[in-house]
Amino acid sequence: MGRIIFIQNIIGGLETGSLYALAALGVVLIYRVSDVTNFAQGEMAMFSTFVTFTVWTYSRAAGYSYPYLIAFFSALIFSAVFGYLIERVFIRPTTESSLLGKMIVTFGLILIVNGSASAIFGTDSHYLQRAVGGTIIISNLVIRPHSFFVIFLALVIMGVLFYMIKYTMFGVAIRATAQDRETARLMGVNTIKVTAFTWIMATIMGAMAGLMIAPATNVSTGMMADVHLKSFIAAVLGGFTSFVGPVIGGLIIGVMDNLVGYYISTNWQTVIVYGILILILIFKPYGLFGTRPQKKV
Amino acid sequence: MMFQDKLINSHPYIKYIIVTAVFFLVLLIDLQFIIFTSRTINLLIRVVYFGIMALGFNMLLGYAGQISLGHAAYMGLGAYLTAYFSNHMGWNFMIILLLSGLIPMALGIILGLVALRMERLYLAIATLGLGVTGQMIFQEWRAFTRGFSGIRLERPEILGFAFNNSRHFLMLITVILLLVIILTYNFSRSRTGRALSAMRDSEYASQSLGISLFKYKLLAFAASSFYVGIAGSLYAYAERYVHPSTWGVELSLDMLAMVVIGGLASIGGSLVGAGFLVLVPRLTAATPVLADITNMNYILTGLAMILVIKYMPYGIYTTIDLKLIQPYLMGRSGENFRYQDLKKESDS
Repeated sequence: MGRIIFIQNIIGGLETGSLYALAALGVVLIYRVSDVTNFAQGEMAMFSTFVTFTVWTYSRAAGYSYPYLIAFFSALIFSAVFGYLIERVFIRPTTESSLLGKMIVTFGLILIVNGSASAIFGTDSHYLQRAVGGTIIISNLVIRPHSFFVIFLALVIMGVLFYMIKYTMFGVAIRATAQDRETARLMGVNTIKVTAFTWIMATIMGAMAGLMIAPATNVSTGMMADVHLKSFIAAVLGGFTSFVGPVIGGLIIGVMDNLVGYYISTNWQTVIVYGILILILIFKPYGLFGTRPQKKV
Repeated sequence: MMFQDKLINSHPYIKYIIVTAVFFLVLLIDLQFIIFTSRTINLLIRVVYFGIMALGFNMLLGYAGQISLGHAAYMGLGAYLTAYFSNHMGWNFMIILLLSGLIPMALGIILGLVALRMERLYLAIATLGLGVTGQMIFQEWRAFTRGFSGIRLERPEILGFAFNNSRHFLMLITVILLLVIILTYNFSRSRTGRALSAMRDSEYASQSLGISLFKYKLLAFAASSFYVGIAGSLYAYAERYVHPSTWGVELSLDMLAMVVIGGLASIGGSLVGAGFLVLVPRLTAATPVLADITNMNYILTGLAMILVIKYMPYGIYTTIDLKLIQPYLMGRSGENFRYQDLKKESDS
């Protein structure tokens, strides 16, 4: 029995962990390409999930055959548009600010997005269905197909992203911009387009994470607080300077979070995970896979 | 004319004393004739203790260039310590106030030690975690904080005089604010303050000048935690109720917003920022259309932060001071008015 519970915890951990990985990858992508640490990622994901929820409710009420499918694709489309708008309206005009200034802009975004969400959708908490319902029971081992769907979806999105970054011309442009913005521009890379694209991609990844976590947390204005913090911890753990780091960091945090929550204490779960992070950071200040950035004095 | 210029130039913080004296006079008149409503008085009390909080945060962000999203936890600690000491120990107000500053200061030094190893981005995330952890501890450690039921306490008493009247209390904390301002002013212009600013502008350059990052980073965190702890203590006395939901990341974001909107590395800026954050919810609630929108004040504060970063990176107060007040003073006295608050904030 103990072993089965352990396996169940690991699967649950991989499920939430892949969501942390998705969100963390979004943050790191933006950070690498445009030097902005997007602290508003969680709030933006929350907003997208609210829109998805609204579409789901309406299409269910209207009696369409596949309300969740409609909602899912509208989430993709909306988050792409939303990411572009945020980049165009708030981020592009402030590219010339200092690093701290750019960080502060995203703090302002937290307030704006959160405030608009509660103004438009209200502060109530709503139920959203799982992508795949039901449970599979294999000799006492209870598995939700939803878990596998989540892991699969995360793998697909990350796979597409990694393929693009590694093998396509646009991916080369992304890597060039991440390495040196000015030189990339001189080489004819359209850095503005690259930046806009990374914001769109990151917002989609955040929205997917929000949509997949929503059945567990319900749709509310505070739904992403925990996921957001953990995804940042994952990014720090993996290191902001690599694209693979945050994914592995996310999985580690997810599994560890579940195990600590089950075997030690659910109340102190976040505190313990955070404590471990601080310990790791003291010994490896740039994360497990990060390298010390070369700095100009 | 010449006398005034000389006074301002040789004792620069005289302007703070004059403003406080005028404010005090207004309060005294108000005490006799009751001009302000009690809501206005409560609003002013909030501006004053948030002002002390913003000064503390500005010490960290504006003067030393370090960031923290966990300072709400220190403020909460100050508030809970005050509630605990005044309910269970019954100590003197001044002792409680000092202890509520000194204990968070000790913890702030620990945060400073962590900060030594990290860059700004990692520090922001680590302190974000600290803030969440702090709030969690306030919720769970019931023996000390009574969890979600919260703690009630009484207004302070000095030499047998109880500050139960909000007007009296406002006067008391205004005096404390003035002391804090003078302390900050002298601190920022001392050798230590200059070292902090040098560290903010370039860690490498300041190290090569013999400035110990170890010492000054710890000092920045210690000083700001002390201020914020005192602000928390005053919060507890002012509201007479301490509840864990107050000390979330939202409060840390508010601190950041105050300092950014008001003006980095500026005393007046901190106070203007505190006033802005206190007045915006009040004004939106009073405006017909905006009042119907939930959390409109969040949206406005966020917009203000972004607009300030874009159009006046030095903050509202500093920009007005530079564009309107300084040219006027300079034109009048004909000599170059020293302006040291403003330094280009760089990407170190």
